[in-house]
Amino acid sequence: MPDRAVADRTVEIPPDAWGRRSAVSPVMPWVFALVVVLLLLGRFVLTPVLAAPALQTWATVFVAICVQALPFLVFGVLLSAAITAFVPPSFWTRALPRHPYVAVPIAGAAGAVLPGCECASVPVASGLMARGVTPAAALAFLLSSPAINPVVVVATAVAFPQQPLMVVSRFCASLAVAVLVGWVWLRFGRSGWLRIPSRPPASGSSWAAFRDAMRHDLLHAGGFLVVGGLTAATLNVVVPRTWLASVAGIPVLSVVALGLLAVLLSICSEADAFVAASLTAFSPTAKLAFLVVGPMVDLKLIALQAGTFGRSFAIRFVPLTFLLGIVTSIAVGEVLL
Amino acid sequence: MNRMSQSLILVLLGGAVLRVTVLSTTYMNYVKPGFRPFLIAAGAVVLVLGVIGLVQEWRKPHVTETGPGQRDEDTGSGSAHAAAGDHGHHHGHDHSRVSRVAWLLCLPVFAIFLIAPPPLGAFAARSEETPPPPPSLSADAYVPLAADRATSMALGEFIGRAWGDSRHSLAGKKVTLTGFVVRSSKKDRWYVTRMQMSCCAADAIALKVAVLDAERPPDDTWVEVTGTWIAPKSDKIPNGTVAPELAATDVAEIPQPFEPYE
Repeated sequence: MPDRAVADRTVEIPPDAWGRRSAVSPVMPWVFALVVVLLLLGRFVLTPVLAAPALQTWATVFVAICVQALPFLVFGVLLSAAITAFVPPSFWTRALPRHPYVAVPIAGAAGAVLPGCECASVPVASGLMARGVTPAAALAFLLSSPAINPVVVVATAVAFPQQPLMVVSRFCASLAVAVLVGWVWLRFGRSGWLRIPSRPPASGSSWAAFRDAMRHDLLHAGGFLVVGGLTAATLNVVVPRTWLASVAGIPVLSVVALGLLAVLLSICSEADAFVAASLTAFSPTAKLAFLVVGPMVDLKLIALQAGTFGRSFAIRFVPLTFLLGIVTSIAVGEVLL
Repeated sequence: MNRMSQSLILVLLGGAVLRVTVLSTTYMNYVKPGFRPFLIAAGAVVLVLGVIGLVQEWRKPHVTETGPGQRDEDTGSGSAHAAAGDHGHHHGHDHSRVSRVAWLLCLPVFAIFLIAPPPLGAFAARSEETPPPPPSLSADAYVPLAADRATSMALGEFIGRAWGDSRHSLAGKKVTLTGFVVRSSKKDRWYVTRMQMSCCAADAIALKVAVLDAERPPDDTWVEVTGTWIAPKSDKIPNGTVAPELAATDVAEIPQPFEPYE
């Protein structure tokens, strides 16, 4: 709707803070002023040129992924910054059991309480680690909270009205994967693989620490979210979904295929049940794999995790989670579906 | 990346989000209408965070001149000086430094302003080859249709009735469908199409109804098609493999509806 935009664009950008920057640094403000002018004029010059349907479709999907994830990211970052700034470290040692092998399932089950997308869980988990929570327990929370929270459970029930067991299977399989991954990480993980984001001790008021932690996390995680959004949008537009139909009938391969599709599509966990329900050609177990893997491993999550916890963490954690997700889905699917 | 650029990126991002939600309805091209309050809240938080950062940067020279400790946020930066040594205005060793990946946040802003992405159209619907979803309502939950006039109907409901209604409530009834035009590989038909999304445009699926007996308008034209359902000749074709068919009596071009998705 470009014509509607022309009228009110000038009101929004530049914002009111724009004029103040001139007092600070001589170069940056001019660069940004140039960017804003480009954004204003580019609407007339570039928009008609950038009208190829493929590009527009790509841009719509890309912007949609970013826009849709932003509120969840902001919420997660708010929560994480609040944990860092306002909750004393001693709280977590009292709240979670001392023994790490017991703390993992408790933290995993705690994920059922917090409604949030996967984009929110990464900064929250990093905030927990920075506050001294056992990494394995924080990772179990990271995996379970987007998969088994109330919003996702309700969405799944709505998407599968004739199959209440799908909701039960999803809940059990996701929690099982989260706890298993936590235990495996506890047993075999090395501390060198995981870069725990360091938080400086709160200097000055906790309010200032809150603001700083929030800005840092938002920019950092936001940047990696864009990386994931770029990849997911490109695959969404470039890869045709027809190849899927050919593997729908093959038992194990179809489960792996839908697991991979969940990774590529990077759909928010609150929406993926509807997409899974639309994949009518596939067996319930394959759909379950889509629902279990999606909230735990996808392109934007991989980018977020690699950015937050380091690359050497991501190359071990992501395949482990994917593998356990597929195996658990098959096992739970055999029993319940 | 210094604090100045960080704050400016946040201002741009927050501004862009508020721009598509508060000042226009462009956000409906990307997400569900119900998402608006969350987007406004998120955009406002990001914008405020950026503006606070800018104000702090702007005040900094005054702080060193007048001495720290005047305002509460100044005490924060003052003791940070004491703790981190020469950290101050430039790159510190802590949270004031953000990796360069944050520049990527400019990309969605550029996309929003320069490409101005429209709602998904014929291109996305054509490449979308998966069969449409099964009927959302269970069979027999549909009310009978009026016999004397055309009933306006969502494409999803039409497809649901065509596939899932054992009482054939569509048979012989006139209906009006709204959607955009997508051409078909077959000569005698085209599709009236609507994208259905459950959360955002990334998960949108195309709902298609084949229109017969009518001249095809150009792709992406929004139309209102009035006609009657053509019952499939055999029951052998399983649901979801072919689009239901409509014999059109009238095709009217309309402007794009307020809500582009179904």
